[in-house]
Parts: sequence; structure tokens; C-alpha cells
Amino acid sequence: MTKKKSIFNDQRVIAALVAVALTVVYLIFSKEFRQYSSFLSMLDFSYYDILMAFGVTFPLITGGVDLSIGTGMVCYALIAGQLVRNNGLPVGAAIVLCLLLGLAFGIINGILVGVMGLAPFIATLSTCMITRGVGSALSATPWPTLQQPGGWFHSIFKWQFGTGRSAFKFPFGIVLMLILMFVLEFVLNHTKFGRYTIAIGSNREATALSGINVKFYHVMVYAVCGLLTGFAAVAYAAVTPTVQPGTGAGLEMDGIGGVFVGGVSATGGYGSIIGSFIGTMVIVLLKTGLPYIGLQSNWQQIITGAVLIISVMIDIVKKRRAAATA
Amino acid sequence: MGDVILTMKGIDKSFPGVHALDHVDFEVRSGEVHALMGENGAGKSTLMKVLTGIYKKDSGTITYQGKEVEFHNTREAQDAGIVIVHQELNMVGDLTVAQNIFIGREPTKGIRIDDKKMIEDSKALFKRLKIDIDPRARMKDLTVGKQQMCEIAKAISHDAKVIIFDEPSAALTEKEIEDLFVIIRDLRAQNLGIVYISHRMDEIKVITDRVTVMRDGGYVGTLITKDCTKEDIINMMVGRVIYEEPKTHSMCPPDAPVVLKVEHLNAGRMVQDVSFELHKGEILGFSGLMGAGRTETARAIFGADPKQSGKISVLDKASGQLKEVTINSPEDAVKAGIGYLSEDRRRYGIVVGKSIIENSTLACLEEYTHGIFIDKKKEKQVTEKFIDELATKTPSADQLVMNLSGGNQQKVVIAKWLVKNSDILIFDEPTRGIDVGAKNEIYKLMNKLAAQGKSIIMISSEMTEILRMSDRIVIMCEGKKTGEMDIAEATQESIMDKATRNIS
Amino acid sequence: MEKIKQNPVVRKIGFNRVILIGVLILMYLVFCVAIKGFAAAGMNHFMNTLNYVYFLGFLSLGVTFSIATGGIDFSIGPVMFCCALIGGYCFNSYKMPLGTSIVIIILVGLIFGIFNGYMIAYQSIPPFIISMASMNIAKGVGAVFTHVNSQSFPLSSDPVNGWFSNIVSYKGFPTGFVLFLLAAIICGIIMYNTRAGRYILCLGSNEEAVRLSGVNTRKYKMIAYVICGLMAGIAAVFFVATYTTVQPGYGDQYNNEAIAGCVMGGTSMTGGIASILGTVIGVFIISLLQEGILAAGFGKDIQLVVTGIIVIVAVYADVTARRRKN
Repeated sequence: MTKKKSIFNDQRVIAALVAVALTVVYLIFSKEFRQYSSFLSMLDFSYYDILMAFGVTFPLITGGVDLSIGTGMVCYALIAGQLVRNNGLPVGAAIVLCLLLGLAFGIINGILVGVMGLAPFIATLSTCMITRGVGSALSATPWPTLQQPGGWFHSIFKWQFGTGRSAFKFPFGIVLMLILMFVLEFVLNHTKFGRYTIAIGSNREATALSGINVKFYHVMVYAVCGLLTGFAAVAYAAVTPTVQPGTGAGLEMDGIGGVFVGGVSATGGYGSIIGSFIGTMVIVLLKTGLPYIGLQSNWQQIITGAVLIISVMIDIVKKRRAAATA
Repeated sequence: MGDVILTMKGIDKSFPGVHALDHVDFEVRSGEVHALMGENGAGKSTLMKVLTGIYKKDSGTITYQGKEVEFHNTREAQDAGIVIVHQELNMVGDLTVAQNIFIGREPTKGIRIDDKKMIEDSKALFKRLKIDIDPRARMKDLTVGKQQMCEIAKAISHDAKVIIFDEPSAALTEKEIEDLFVIIRDLRAQNLGIVYISHRMDEIKVITDRVTVMRDGGYVGTLITKDCTKEDIINMMVGRVIYEEPKTHSMCPPDAPVVLKVEHLNAGRMVQDVSFELHKGEILGFSGLMGAGRTETARAIFGADPKQSGKISVLDKASGQLKEVTINSPEDAVKAGIGYLSEDRRRYGIVVGKSIIENSTLACLEEYTHGIFIDKKKEKQVTEKFIDELATKTPSADQLVMNLSGGNQQKVVIAKWLVKNSDILIFDEPTRGIDVGAKNEIYKLMNKLAAQGKSIIMISSEMTEILRMSDRIVIMCEGKKTGEMDIAEATQESIMDKATRNIS
Repeated sequence: MEKIKQNPVVRKIGFNRVILIGVLILMYLVFCVAIKGFAAAGMNHFMNTLNYVYFLGFLSLGVTFSIATGGIDFSIGPVMFCCALIGGYCFNSYKMPLGTSIVIIILVGLIFGIFNGYMIAYQSIPPFIISMASMNIAKGVGAVFTHVNSQSFPLSSDPVNGWFSNIVSYKGFPTGFVLFLLAAIICGIIMYNTRAGRYILCLGSNEEAVRLSGVNTRKYKMIAYVICGLMAGIAAVFFVATYTTVQPGYGDQYNNEAIAGCVMGGTSMTGGIASILGTVIGVFIISLLQEGILAAGFGKDIQLVVTGIIVIVAVYADVTARRRKN
């Protein structure tokens, strides 16, 4: 039935090749990039992007989007961080709070889109502004550092063996991300939630007529995205010395861009968590790697924008060609 | 025929401005195939949507298996054993066949969906129905006929007591229809109640036990199929005898010049090597089953869809000679004097949110502008002229098109092409969704246009329409032209023969 | 009520627009009563509001065209900043004459409009994706071009180029207001009395039907985005003439404000229905609101939150109105 396709038809393969090529270029042209610490710091700055990308994959599969992930992430980190600093909230509770805040805003987005019927980009553009406003109403709040009490949460992402100069740091975060990737890939392909996410993206009307409570699942899609954004807030706090109020705008591009590079369909109905992971790694390489080859970090915004357009165009051209031969 | 399993009594339903169902009665017995018939807009689909909980009834009772019931959504109806096979395909293209059949009730092991079991169950189901489909194939890669079969399999898999088929044969080939009938007879033997909605009189006679006829949202009567004739049913449907006499000979003079010549047109799977000629003042009927490629041919000629190859020539008014034209977009086609009236007016014909004026001048706004500014006075004049000429029923030319009836909307589309003064008009299912009275008006209008020298291609799935209107008939089947005949020699049988020629 | 609705003047401008004017006046009165010193500072707040109206008005007029096609352009805020930054750098660092710099500012906006329009109309990329990409590209270009330096434009006291501020105010006379109204009238004429406007509105309502009427829908769709970009360029001129300084990396909050003004005014997010007069009133309401929030002692943060909520409410009102009609 299904035609044999070249593996290069899978955008994930192309994305992986691009990631490898970028790494090779950096390795050749930059001495600093070859150091282990560069590798570590690159990973540090990838976790929150990966988590956002994992989350936003679900709305994108339904043909929607969540533009509030960047500002939302910073907003949750700020609220929780402030409570830790000023009100003595234990860090464990702060982490839970981040997840809950993410979940709550996710549900709000879900209701706006799935129940009230607002266009996803306009609903989430608004919540993007709202979370950004809430975020900038707060003051800059560093979460506890590794040495301070409660600093243990940093070591979720980086295990340290030994001390001093001989210390070896193991990036446990990446293991966590890989585990999460397989869990979410399972959720997407083998659970009802995942299946209905794809079904809503493919044909919401038909899904509803099959007796599925699409409103509930549509809300769930954004709730899951919010929850993962909450997790991203923890990862963001773990690597950022001070979470600055009023920031986060533009960070959503790292996540959304990554998902598109990973081959999600621009019109919904198809997506893969593994693809999102690979795609985000491409974005992270662009983001953290450009300074190594002497390009200003602002180039990253331009390049991310261009990469987004190119990956969506690949999807559209592919579809157009498939339609022409049908 | 067994006991009454389902009774609907005095069902009433109104939508804003429309009394869609007026105290309708309907019953189904187990072990019968009960036809539900009526013209477009008679209320058949609405009645079934009330039954399955898509619409809420205003009054009346539904008794099912001896108990009064009211379903709030299709899920509840399904669970109770009443399932509907929709006219519009109701499938999720990105999921596989098995995933579609079991959507909403996937077997699970813990939280994991048991895809293996789903595939096995689908295979068993297909085996029972004697259908050959791979349950792992993606739904959108299947042909329309196969998708329809999956829908039926899905309905049957629900362990249903009552199955409603809403125009199931519209998209099927002759062979597939035969298979479907085998399945339906099999289900009847298992004592299920089957509701069969269709327009095709021949099918009704072949497959059904009883016929209930509806007209304009009301109940007309119920007959035993084998005791009544086609004409009886038609009379009940239309309320008066207007069994149309077919045209006996072409109204188009034999020496009329060719205005459109299509040679070896190829566009995808649905249009393969199609060639034909259209004469001035002629109505050329395009007949065939649903999915025969007629609409695709029209769209390819009109430049709405891309084509791979083919030569299209149009009569050049200045020289009086045929001249080849390149048509890559509707823009090119309109410039060449072709107008297209789609079967799906609301999607492709009119801009419903805009006024009659804005719709009428849409195709040739450049003739109603001074410089870059629109001449609103001139626009209104021409619109009003065509409202009079076509007898469009509307309070004013500023009326939004969405407030007009189907027939009047069709007139607005016709007006659009008349304002543009297009010489070649392609009518795709010109009377779909239009009530009987307005239908006759559209027919008269088409005849008048042809008499005025416009050349018309009419795509129609209704045999009576083809035989009544056409001067000449082109028949297509599975993307190929399989026949061409003059109206004088055309019969239902000869057309059907050619329309099913390629189908094995 | 019915009587008011039947009044010929009311019918001409639309009942909803009359209500909006009422809201505007009411809001001003409420501010005068509720905010201490608002009434006393009278003219001052009024002028501040007008200053805000100028640049926001142009953005909002532009985005009305893109929304009328059923699309969106939420890159306009950063694009406006990008235009101003590039123009400022040409003026300050390349020492170009001010007049030339102004032309460059407008040209940059036009180029973004052409790019967005081409990608959306001819490459069929969803508008929200292009908006995201352009937003980032604009921010990146603005930063890279100016080497991340803010750009200043001449004050009215500048002996040579002081005339620049006359664009918005000439000896206390609000020239900007006159120019804005002029632009609104031109936009109105384009929208309602030209072929381009007619096609833009019709294709926003049903693109396929317009295409099948032999109209080159792509061209007209592109024109809508070109107008949108051009207006962002003009908005940039008014922004710097009023506030004289622009910083790289900002501008996205104005997206929402511009969209809010447009949607409040009765332009439908689903396309096909647009009201230029509504946009003008909507812009006044949004601008007065921003001024009121500041006057009440709140900051940018509250402005963001309030604007976000307004967009949600306005779009939801449109969605429900539409649902009721069907």
C-alpha cells in the first residue's frame, strides 16, 4: 500500500544531518568549541528549549500554536523564584509551583482555543503579552545557586563527581530529556490522548462526530504544553544566574522553530517528538554555536527566522508535489 | 420483516427562518431495509440528525426498543446501537484504516492502545464483509470508494441494531454498489433495521422493502416497495406529476461553429486523455458516476487545478477561427471567455458574506472602475438589470448573498458570468441543493442562454436532467471519456453502459 | 434603541462604531474622575494620548488590511523598530541627510511587507509562521545593523533638523493628527472604493470563490501585506519623530496593541469584514487606555496584561457574533 520512500523524505533525517554538519563546522573552525565545557554549556542552554519544543509539538500537531511558551516560562520562573527568595518557599515546592502555573496557563489557553473557539495564534499571542506583563511586574530574582540551600535542583541537570580541578560534570539533563522524549513519543503514538491530538489536527469535525469529546482533548493538548513549559521554567532557572523580568519574548521561537525543523506539518495532523528533539538541537547549535565562529549572537534571530521559513517551505513543497502526482 | 424497533412520532424541528421538520413520522422494523426518499432539502438528513443526536428536536417522541429515548450526541446513539454512515465522509485522513474504525473506543492494555488487536479485529471485519483493504494503510491514501467501505465497516463494527446509510452509493462504482447490496442483504438477514437514503430510484426498487417519502420537511406517506411503481414514488416526492420528457433531438443547428476544442487533456489520475468539442449554442451534457472525473476535467479546463498536458482552443471572435489558448489559472480561462459554476456554490461559487452587487461584478470589476476607483452606480445598475432578467428574488441588490435561497444564489452566480459576458459556461451540477420549482427555472434559463448563443457544458449526475437538457452527451468513467452520443440516440441504458465501461 | 439604530447618520457609520465612540468618551470621563490629577493635567494627557495614536494608528491601519484577508501580521511592531533603527543608523553613523533616512525607514517597512506578502500569497506559508519568522528577523536585523546601539533622532531644538518633529506637532498644532486622519481616509478609500480593497475583502471572505471568478487572488493578498509593511514603515517615522530614541530588541508589545485597536473596531479576525473608521476609534481607545494606566501609576506591565485581555474579549465577541449568525 504505502510506497517505499527514501529516508531523505523524512525531515528528521535531514535535520539530524544538518545538526551533524553544524557540529563539524564548529569543530573545525573553533578551538573553544572543542572543549568539554563548551559542550556542557551548550547542553545547559538546550534543556529549556527542548522542553518548550516537546510541549508545543502537541498544539502544532493540532494545527494550532502556543506563542506564550517563552514569556510564560520566564513568568513562572519569576513568580516561583520570588516566593523562594522573599517568602522562604522551599525549592521543591517552587518546582511544583512552576509546573502548576504552567498547567494553569495551559488550561486557560486550551479553553480559549478549544472551547471558546479563538484562533490559536491570537489567543496565545494575548496570553503571551499577559504572562510577559505579569513577569515584568516582578523584580529580578535569582533562584538559589548551587552552593546555597535549595541549590540541589541544579544537580537534576548536572551531576558533579569529585571537587576542585579534577571535578567531572556529567550532563544528566540530557539523559532526562532522552527519557522524556521516549515517554512523550509513546504518549503521542500509543495513547488515546496522542491519537486524538493527531485526529483533531487532521479533521476536528470528523473526530467530534466519532463521539470523542474534542473540546476536552483540545484543552488537554494545551494543558500538556503548559505543563512542559512549567518544567522548562525550572530548567531555565537552573541555568540562568538571574531570571530577568520582562524577558522571554522571542524564546518561543527556539521551541517552535525546533519543532518545525523536526518536520511537524504546518497544517497539522503529523508530528514527532523525536523530530522535535533533533530540530531543537539544530536551533540550539545555531544559537550557542554562532559566537564560536565569530558571528554576533543577534545573527541567531535572523537565522532562526530563516530556518523556520525554510523548514515550513520544505513541508509545503513536498505536499504540493504529492498532490500533483495524485 | 420483524417487530418495530424504532418509532419516530411527530418530530418537529425549526431553524431560524426554516421549518425543517414538520411533525414527521417514521418507523423501522428489524429485518427490513427502509428507504427514506425526498427531493434535496426535503428533510431526510435533518430527520436522521435528530435521531442520532446531532440536532435537538423541538417536539415529538423517539421510541427505541420499546423505550422513549433522546440522544444528546452521536456517541450516545452509537452506544445504544444506532449508527449512521454519513454522506460526507467522516474520516481522519492522517490516521490508519484500523485507527479510524476504532476511533473513540480503542482497545487498551493499561494506557497503551492495543494497535495489534485493532488491526486483527479490522481484518476479521473486512473478511466478514469480503472487502480487501489493508487496515494499516493511511486513510487519505485510499480511493473514495474504499474510504466509504471503511465507513460502513466502522458502522457495522458498532454492534448496531439500526444502521442508517445516507446516500452510500453516490461515490461508489457499480461493482462496489453490488458488494454493498450483498452486505446490506446480509445485515437484513441478521435482523438489523436498515434505513437507506438515496436518490436513485432503481436502487430503491432493488434493495428496499418499504419506502417513506418526505416533502418540504413534512411526512408524505409510506409504501411497500414491491407494490408501487417508480411514478408513484416520484409523484409523492414532487407532489405533482412532472415526469419530464427527455429531449428528442438536438436544438443546436448541425452547422454551428465549434467554440471550444479540448484535445488530449491530462490532469492527474482523474483526467486521462480527454478530448471533445463544444458547439455554439449547444448544451453538452457530461454524464458519469460520481468520481468519474467530470468535475476534475472542468476544473482542469478552467485552470483551477494544474494539468499535465493537453491543448485547449477557443473560438476567436475577431477572426472566427479556433485559436489555442494557454490556461494556467482561472484568470486565463475567464479572459478566454469561459465561466465555471461549481457544484459547491457556497465554497466555490459565491462570497456569502458579501452583497449581490459585490458578487455580480466579481469577475469583471475592471469594467466597472474609473482609474482605480469603483463606479458604484454603474455596478448597481448592471446588478439590478440581471436581478430583473433572471427573476432573482431579493428585496434589494445590497442584500447579502447568505440570506438568499439556494436557487437564488445559483442565479447570482449565473449573473456573475453574464455580467462578464462569458460565452462558454460550465455548469457543474446546476440544480444540486435547489428545490423543485427553482430547478425548472434554472432549466429554462439554461435553455434561454443556449438559444441566445451561449455554449454550455452541463455536468450532472441525475440521468433525467441529462436526458432533458443535453443536445449531445459525453460520458466519462474513471477519468477517461468512454462515450459520446447525440441526444436522439441516447437512452438511460446506453449511457449507464458507457458510464460503467471501465469498471471490472 | 431601534430608533437610534435607524438614524441615517448612525446607519452610515454603523451602530457598533457609535457605541465605541461612547466607550471612548466614557473612558475619558472615568479617568478624569477616578485618577487623581488626570483632569487637572488635562491637555497634557490628551497630547500624550495623541502622540501614542500617531504611530499606533498607522500600525493598526496597516494590520487591518492583513486581517481583512483572513490572515495576520504580528511582525509589525518589531518591523517598525527595525525600520527606525536602520534609518537612525544611516542618519547617525553614515551621516545621511534626514530626508534620505526617512525614505530609508519607509523603504525598509515596504521590503518587509513585500517579503511577508510574497511568502504568504505565493508560497502559501501560514501567516502566523511568517509573522513569527519576520518578527525575529526584524529584531535580529535591527540589532545586527546598529551593532546593538540605540539610535537617536533630532529633537525639535535641533537647529538643522528640528523640522523633523513638526511632523507630529507644529507650534502646538497637532500636525500628526491631521496626517493620521488623512492616512485613515486614504486607507478607507482604498478599502471600500478601489478594486484592490474589494478583492481583499472578498478573498478574506471566500478566497477560492474569488480565485474561480478569474481574479489573481495572490496578487491582491500580497498587496494587503505590502500595505501593512508600508504602514509599519510610516509608523516608524512617527514613532521617532515623537519619542526620538529607539532601542534594538523591542517592539513586540505594539503588535498586540495594534491588533487590539483593529479588532475592537469591528474588523473580523476571520477576514472579509473590515472597518477603517472602527480601527481609528479603536486606536484612540487603546491609546487613551495606555495613557490612563500610566497616569494611574501603573507601568508597562499592566498595559501588557490589559491589552492582552482586551484582544481576547474583542476576538471572542466576534466569534460569538459569527456563531449566532449561522
